[in-house]
Amino acid sequence: MSGRLHPFTLLAVAAALPALAWILPAPAGAAATLAVALGLTLTPGASPGSTGIGSSPGWRPGSVVFRAALLTAAPFWLFLLLLHDVPTTIATGLRITTMVASIGWVVAALPPARLVEAMVAAGWSATAAYLFAATLSAVPVLKSRAQRIVEAQRCRGLSPRGGVANRLRALGAVALPLVLSALHEVDERALALETRGLVPGVHRTPLEPPPDRVAERVARWGLAALCAVALVWRLA
Amino acid sequence: MTRVALEHVSFWYPATSAPALEDVSLEVVGGELVALVGRVGAGASTLLLVAGDLAPRVVGGRLEGTVRFEGSDRAGKDGGRRIVLPSPWTQLSGMAFTVWDEVAFGPANLGWPRGEIARHVEHALALLEITGLNSRDPATLSGGELQRVILAGILAMNPAVLLCDEPTAELDPAGAQAVWRLLSALAREGKAVLVATSDLDALPDVADRVVWLERGRVAATGTAALLAGDAACAAGLGTTVAGVWRAAELAAPFPATVAAAVRRWR
Repeated sequence: MSGRLHPFTLLAVAAALPALAWILPAPAGAAATLAVALGLTLTPGASPGSTGIGSSPGWRPGSVVFRAALLTAAPFWLFLLLLHDVPTTIATGLRITTMVASIGWVVAALPPARLVEAMVAAGWSATAAYLFAATLSAVPVLKSRAQRIVEAQRCRGLSPRGGVANRLRALGAVALPLVLSALHEVDERALALETRGLVPGVHRTPLEPPPDRVAERVARWGLAALCAVALVWRLA
Repeated sequence: MTRVALEHVSFWYPATSAPALEDVSLEVVGGELVALVGRVGAGASTLLLVAGDLAPRVVGGRLEGTVRFEGSDRAGKDGGRRIVLPSPWTQLSGMAFTVWDEVAFGPANLGWPRGEIARHVEHALALLEITGLNSRDPATLSGGELQRVILAGILAMNPAVLLCDEPTAELDPAGAQAVWRLLSALAREGKAVLVATSDLDALPDVADRVVWLERGRVAATGTAALLAGDAACAAGLGTTVAGVWRAAELAAPFPATVAAAVRRWR
């Protein structure tokens, strides 16, 4: 389902759920938003490779996102229980879990390339869209470079296994070359982008802009209105 | 007529007192392939950046002399001056998650209509023989595959002047030969092609002219026969065949290629 929605709609839902979780009275309001968020994590994510821009490095089957959300939220519940009474722990825990599940869902469901296409089609500058996409795509690039550095360091006798001290030492030997090489390539990357036409003020052609249906635009405004009404109701 | 010309150009990188280029004059016109050769640090890469209007505009530094470019330098049918840098990994756009989108990155930035972008992308993919990779994630490609993708991305922008810095560095011998054939064909189509390379053995078959750079200055200019000269061989800039011929103390002039050596032996 989420794979067919416009990227802005996905972002609107992911923003509205945590907002409503904090605005609506706990525990009922937060429980309701959490139920919706967890339900979304179980829906099929974006389908990888369905179009030229449809694949996402962050794509995961729904159950993985569901489990990841619960596992990520678990430590928060523990610390809340140590610091607060049970009702406060439940209220805040439900809200935090809603936030975690919403973010996890949108990261899994929204291919960055589709969001970039939507941003360019909506009139955002290509350079702003680049900042967003490059940040997301940097994760797999850095991961693969880190793997190469690990292999190179292993050839020099470094072992990333063993006790905590050993692992920390290995982490330093990997992190430093990783950061330095990333900084070193900034200049060359700037030249490459310049020669490929990514300059300030460029009017980039969106390659495959996702359709933005009227119903979705109405739904987004509806979500914003719902949050505003809920806030006014709570403050009244 | 496409033409890029450097007239008495000297260039200093930021915070350096020694020039990377010193009094360099060079002209490349549409229809010819010119090769820059020299030791590491001779200034070939810098010359490409200057010719491509990236130095000092993007790189910084100081330029003396004149760089002239004739031909379209704006978005449109003609993609202007474009450079292929030596390391393919740092040239990934970061905005594409398939090879097709990576190649389309440049044309999309030029604001071309989608149909025209698709046509140029398909043509560039076919030229580089990588159509089969079009749905792959660029981050998962080998160095050689990525090198071809980056070159395709530049060709898809339909540059009038193509500047390549070690375009065959990541390629196997067959891939390198294919790229040289392609660059030669592009020159014959009317593009001005300027290549900095250490793949000296390929040049006699493809280069119209060879420019030998030494410490930022032009040491010699000529046909690819320059690479079979005694001076070039002594400097380590001769072709393998010429080097072997010279080492064997056989009679000059040295043959530049295997075919020329075979003819001499017969």
